[in-house]
Amino acid sequence: MKVRFWGVRGSIACPGPDTVQFGGNTACLELRFGETGRLIIIDAGSGIRTLGDYLMQNDLPKGPINTEIFLTHTHWDHIMGFPFFTPLYIPGTKLRVYGPVTHEEDTLDTIIGELLCYRYFPVMHSELAAEIEYCQLNECEMDLGDGITLKTKFLNHSILCLGYRFEYKGKVFCTAYDTEPFRNLFPSDPDSPDYDPIIAEEGEKAAKEETERLLDFFRGADLLIHDSQYTVEEYLSSKKGWGHSSFEDAINAAHKAEVKKVILFHHDICRTDKELISLEKYYRELMKNKSDLEIVVAKEGMEFEL
Amino acid sequence: MESHKNLSILQSYISKMPPLPVTVARVIEICDDVNASPADLSKIINLDPVLTGKVLKLINSAYYGMVNEITSPVRAIIMLGINTVKNLALSTAILGNLGNSKNFCALDMDKFWRHSLSVGVISRLIAKKRNINRDQIEECFIAGLLHDIGKIPLNNKFSDEYILAMDLSDRERQPVYISEKQFLEIDHTDVGKLIAEKWKLGTEIIDTVTYHHSLEAYKGSKKDILYTVALANYFANVLESDFSVDRYPEEIGHEVLHHLDIIPEYLEDIRDEVTGEIEKAQVFLKIAG
Repeated sequence: MKVRFWGVRGSIACPGPDTVQFGGNTACLELRFGETGRLIIIDAGSGIRTLGDYLMQNDLPKGPINTEIFLTHTHWDHIMGFPFFTPLYIPGTKLRVYGPVTHEEDTLDTIIGELLCYRYFPVMHSELAAEIEYCQLNECEMDLGDGITLKTKFLNHSILCLGYRFEYKGKVFCTAYDTEPFRNLFPSDPDSPDYDPIIAEEGEKAAKEETERLLDFFRGADLLIHDSQYTVEEYLSSKKGWGHSSFEDAINAAHKAEVKKVILFHHDICRTDKELISLEKYYRELMKNKSDLEIVVAKEGMEFEL
Repeated sequence: MESHKNLSILQSYISKMPPLPVTVARVIEICDDVNASPADLSKIINLDPVLTGKVLKLINSAYYGMVNEITSPVRAIIMLGINTVKNLALSTAILGNLGNSKNFCALDMDKFWRHSLSVGVISRLIAKKRNINRDQIEECFIAGLLHDIGKIPLNNKFSDEYILAMDLSDRERQPVYISEKQFLEIDHTDVGKLIAEKWKLGTEIIDTVTYHHSLEAYKGSKKDILYTVALANYFANVLESDFSVDRYPEEIGHEVLHHLDIIPEYLEDIRDEVTGEIEKAQVFLKIAG
């Protein structure tokens, strides 16, 4: 199994002199499986544009593109590149798009399909040459064929958002973005006017159990890609409840779940190359001799083989 | 009743069922507030059987591999996140504009709300008295709150027949579900079952909603919660007297009291607490008592 990063940012693409090294595109990952190099894409952030161009040059000459895109959720930064994915315009392309949909009545095909309407874009979804199938996902286990299995788990974000766990030939690859640590949202201080002992206890229990379920989800992964949008100071000062994790949260979770390598991902748009280099250095030093966990800050173009 | 056609009318209504008129304004107020607290959100959900059901429906449809169905809105808020639950409540409340009080011409929706909440509160008190564990106490509350949910679609989609059914109950001094069956060939426990199953509310709640008027027919394993809610329902109707939604309820059999180890006099002990809870809810909803 191989993974390549085509976009590592959150929120919006942020090209510029401060993001040259780590890249400014939003979330998009390319996975390749086995000898045949079966392709699976995770997320269609702005990074999918360059992945599309790469596929046009390297895959298309071997035959029509036939792939799956797994969307973690439908926030802008994870779907904004979709209309710019060139294989959509090539006859013979076959695409299956999977992803979660919150309680809305609109289905996944409407939510993604409406990105391509004249109001927003010069091409209508119905004019695309590719054959596209949409499939709404909840928590589930799927056999994707070729020995690839997939397990999904809901994360803690402001809309339903799925983490993906792929297993192939004994290797485990897992994503956990966008997500914030589960916590008790209800007051546990008896002096608070809203305090209710039963609710406080239920809240504590629910948060603890969900945290455990999430750790179980990425337990023993060879590679875990985890949200690390904020530093712990940023998180505590003003970003609680925004649906993202800090570097510490990501590293702690990976360590507890005995993950081998954690890739810190979904960088804040204000995070400069300089800051990312120094954060990576700082956390590697901090965890040295404390854990076997390998810590890597995600960078556009980076590749790993499992 | 043309069964098929009516069933599909009911099913289509169920998928867009609004919250009760008595809670709608406060739901909108809380969910429109960016700073609304999770405590307020959970409070408003707990005061409305439709909202409670819809939140549980969302979480139980989305999650997989849970050992049991989730029956706690508090847990749902933590797992789904406050925004998801707020959006759900808000979009449900907006459907509520289609069903303002004028449309509820048969059943008095204020009385219905008061009764649902009373049965929830009394179920909780009975469960507490029996010293069962906390999770089950809250489940009793939710089952009590939701026990009559099947009345909402009947009352809304077949209000003419429903008025006749209520009149018949008054004339013949018989329980409402019998009159419903006579006029509509279906009663609120049948419709409740449809809803509870569709919303994946779990065996405890499905069984309670389905069997609370036919305890003798029940062969399942959730007798504790079913009997608790059936007894609470009876107590509530006695307590409410003139405000009752079912003025001629069937007596509760001795085996129910025996099974639960509750004596009828317990009703007297909890009268003030139930009234207090309803008043607190009215203050929270900002409605006149």
